[in-house]
Amino acid sequence: MDNYRFKYIFKKRIQILFGLLVFLLFIPLIKIFYLQIIQFERFHALSKNNSIKIIPIPPKRGLILDRNNVILADNKLVHSLEIERSSYSNINEIKNQLKAKLNIDIDINDKKINYLYKDTIPISFNLTDEQIARFVAHQYSFPTLRIKQRFIRDYPQGESSAHIVGFINRINDEDIIFFNKENLTSEYLGSTHTGKSGSEKFYENLIHGKPGFKEIEVDAKQNVIRTLQEKKAIPGKAINLTIDYKLQKIAEKAFGEKKGALIAIDPKNAEVLAYVSQPTFNPALFTDGISQKAWAKLNESSSKAMLDRVVSGLYPPGSTLKPFVALAALGNNIRKPPFSIFDSGRFKMPNSSKVFRDWKKEGHGTVDIIKAISVSCDTFFYGLGLELGITKLNKILDDFGFGKKTMIDIHGEKKGLIANKKWKKEKFDQPWYAGETAITAIGQGFTLVTPLQLANATAKLANPSLSIKPHLLLSVDGVKQDKKIKIEKAQSYDDKNLQWVKEGMVNVTKKGGTAAFLGKNSEYQMASKTGTAQLFGLKIDEEYNEDLLPDNLKDHALFISYAPADKPEIVIAVIVENGGHGGSVAGPIAKAVMDAYLKEK
Amino acid sequence: MSKILNEFIKRIDGPLFSISFLLIILGLITLAGSNLETSKIIVNQVFNISVGLIIFTLVIFTNPRILFGYAPILFFLTIFLLVLVHFFGIESNGAKRWLAFGGLNLQPSELIKITLPLMIAWLYQNFQNKISLKVHLIAIFLILVPVYLVLLQPDLGTSIMIALSGFLIIFLAGVSWRLILSSLVITILSSPIIWMNLHIYQKNRILNMLDPFADPLGTGYHTIQSMIAIGSGGGFGKGWGQGSQTNLNFLPEANTDFIFAVYAEEFGFFGVILIFALFLFLIYRIFNLANDMQDTFSKLLTVSLGASIFAAIFVNIAMISGLVPVVGLPLPFMSYGGTSMVVSLISIGIIMNLNNHKTLIAN
Repeated sequence: MDNYRFKYIFKKRIQILFGLLVFLLFIPLIKIFYLQIIQFERFHALSKNNSIKIIPIPPKRGLILDRNNVILADNKLVHSLEIERSSYSNINEIKNQLKAKLNIDIDINDKKINYLYKDTIPISFNLTDEQIARFVAHQYSFPTLRIKQRFIRDYPQGESSAHIVGFINRINDEDIIFFNKENLTSEYLGSTHTGKSGSEKFYENLIHGKPGFKEIEVDAKQNVIRTLQEKKAIPGKAINLTIDYKLQKIAEKAFGEKKGALIAIDPKNAEVLAYVSQPTFNPALFTDGISQKAWAKLNESSSKAMLDRVVSGLYPPGSTLKPFVALAALGNNIRKPPFSIFDSGRFKMPNSSKVFRDWKKEGHGTVDIIKAISVSCDTFFYGLGLELGITKLNKILDDFGFGKKTMIDIHGEKKGLIANKKWKKEKFDQPWYAGETAITAIGQGFTLVTPLQLANATAKLANPSLSIKPHLLLSVDGVKQDKKIKIEKAQSYDDKNLQWVKEGMVNVTKKGGTAAFLGKNSEYQMASKTGTAQLFGLKIDEEYNEDLLPDNLKDHALFISYAPADKPEIVIAVIVENGGHGGSVAGPIAKAVMDAYLKEK
Repeated sequence: MSKILNEFIKRIDGPLFSISFLLIILGLITLAGSNLETSKIIVNQVFNISVGLIIFTLVIFTNPRILFGYAPILFFLTIFLLVLVHFFGIESNGAKRWLAFGGLNLQPSELIKITLPLMIAWLYQNFQNKISLKVHLIAIFLILVPVYLVLLQPDLGTSIMIALSGFLIIFLAGVSWRLILSSLVITILSSPIIWMNLHIYQKNRILNMLDPFADPLGTGYHTIQSMIAIGSGGGFGKGWGQGSQTNLNFLPEANTDFIFAVYAEEFGFFGVILIFALFLFLIYRIFNLANDMQDTFSKLLTVSLGASIFAAIFVNIAMISGLVPVVGLPLPFMSYGGTSMVVSLISIGIIMNLNNHKTLIAN
């Protein structure tokens, strides 16, 4: 091959080569044209969806325990049936399919779509193993559903202690607004529930924990391609309540079928030892959304199982108010022993023809302030009230915490009512009558208290130096919460005055007292006061026959007590609704709890 | 200084230099867009370009006779290095490709991309006017030695590149069509044996090309993400620095092998057409220069170097657009990295140098 021929072949071949290269270069160009122009929409969508997804991992709720680590609220692992967020709009169709194909019933009434979920939405937590098996076998028919594992709340004690433990329910619209306002939204991503009552609600911020996150890569079909990184959720803190579950159980048993409330407080530190509101409910009913029927039943007007009577129940205190009224009088140097009256069973209002009767028709004979407490002499207190006047009377009731919230760590607390002239003027546009002062002194009239207020006031009587407000939280993750306890100024009362009131209360369970039977065979001395709260205003000088009244109009039975009288360890307030006489109905319940508590000590 | 500059300008080929420089700048712009948070990549790449340009300058000021004279020595030295890699190479990702010289890492398979064409062109120059089948067979043997050595590393992509750059010279040197056809048949028949000797990851990559979406978790991932990046760019692109595929770290190796996908995502199909036009013009210019050269050595070497650049461009773009399996090959002039940049600029330098000495070897 000579050089000329080489150059010729070279030129020809370089032309062939260049043609080939242009052709070759067109192949990827056409492919790119196809990708960028023809398939643009598809890849545009892919690149939008094709992103890193952050899936929140909901934290495990903290346990709620009693003071001896008895579990009141636990977590259990369940299989949940969950639906993809994007398919939630078809929920009714899917519900029908589940019913038709697999005979699985899901109640979706309360399972409103929750826009905080960044994950699938659970539609049922309580499928049986058999239902799960059936679903898994037919999974292909339900591409938008899947079975997942979740921890849900479990309440091993069931109805017992339900009011204090509370319950959780699905996060609803109000919760979301609240989370937004409080900047908590990020804490609830992936969470399905939040505390709705009791400690579950009050200590939600401690119990809830912080969510973790799983950073995953997904394709356009939202299939997980891989997990990029994972940050574990921080479980909620376990809280110990001041409640002694054993005591709680004894109190509930003592109540039986009766309605009412009991609260026991340690007067040394204001720890709530027992907290009973009867009837009660099963908090587990709410975890998966409660059915309309069950909800209606719980809220039935006569039982009001959802009402936390300890803090939300308002009752006339009846005679249980007398020790405080007595202390008010003594503090104002009124009717100090040895002052006494002769009680004939009737009290005639000065400058008036009105006559108030004592609960004991024939009267109590000679009565001083000590006896007035132990026999609950109304006549003595009518006069005392009038001498003291409503303003001074209200002052001491205020000191003992009546008419205002105790600020206990549970939601729904009521203020109660301590009526005065101003209040009556505003409410009824009527003047205050002297007779109203007289009946206020025996705990009737307008006065309304909560069982907690009664117990709290009794604790202050038992331990006047008590400056701690009643509370339910004992420790968080085992760390005592002393520093967070609310403090108020302790009152100081004259020792001698206290002594007289106490003597009156001690005599309640002694021979002649209104609850003398309780004192028989008792191993310790208790200081008590019985009360019978009339539910409707009796017309003056009128009597009623208890036996003729329907149950729900019968008097409430009240009982306050602390023991041992000389060195108080426990304070109890009991109210039995429509129970009749306080000493005989409410007293034994309190005694049962005290017996158990003090025996243990 | 101005004298050197004048001499420099005299020695470079204006169109070729402009196109190359434009591609380098486009690469740098793309890199800057996807590395807005850190200037480290940009600084490094500017350094790589500077080193490339310095070596380029040295090359164009060198007498190409030296290149011709030393061709066999350079070739056998590279072969020796490839053998050394086999024994002393640094292993990473199941492949031995690098030699460590002190602190410097050398990739002999990149060097052979230049020294093999040099050797083959040298061979044909020496046998000019008496090119026969024997010469072609010698050339084929000289090609197969480094191809085999690189395949052993294993580095399928590079070995194919080397083979192509070598065989191209044989084709241009006027080998008969009969021989071309028969060797094609042999290659096809022997392909099952090659397949059996491939590494598992290489097999997977090839299989994956057939259906990248079959295994999105593993080997198909790169291809899918790259195709999404390109496709979502559309006609006009997402804009500079706006490539979400890139910025969300979906696109692997966005700075190096997959820089063209980033470019296509951000500048769209019209941007792609611009780059393709530049590539085509680059090759056209190189071939034109080769055609005007007088001696066999210059002509063959120039086309071979140009074809090597083209092959790298083609394979890279075919790879990122999902036409061929992911082989791990940078895009000349644009990808981040020193070796590729220096090799490309040396190639361009050699071509210009040969062009400056049209009568290198008397005929």
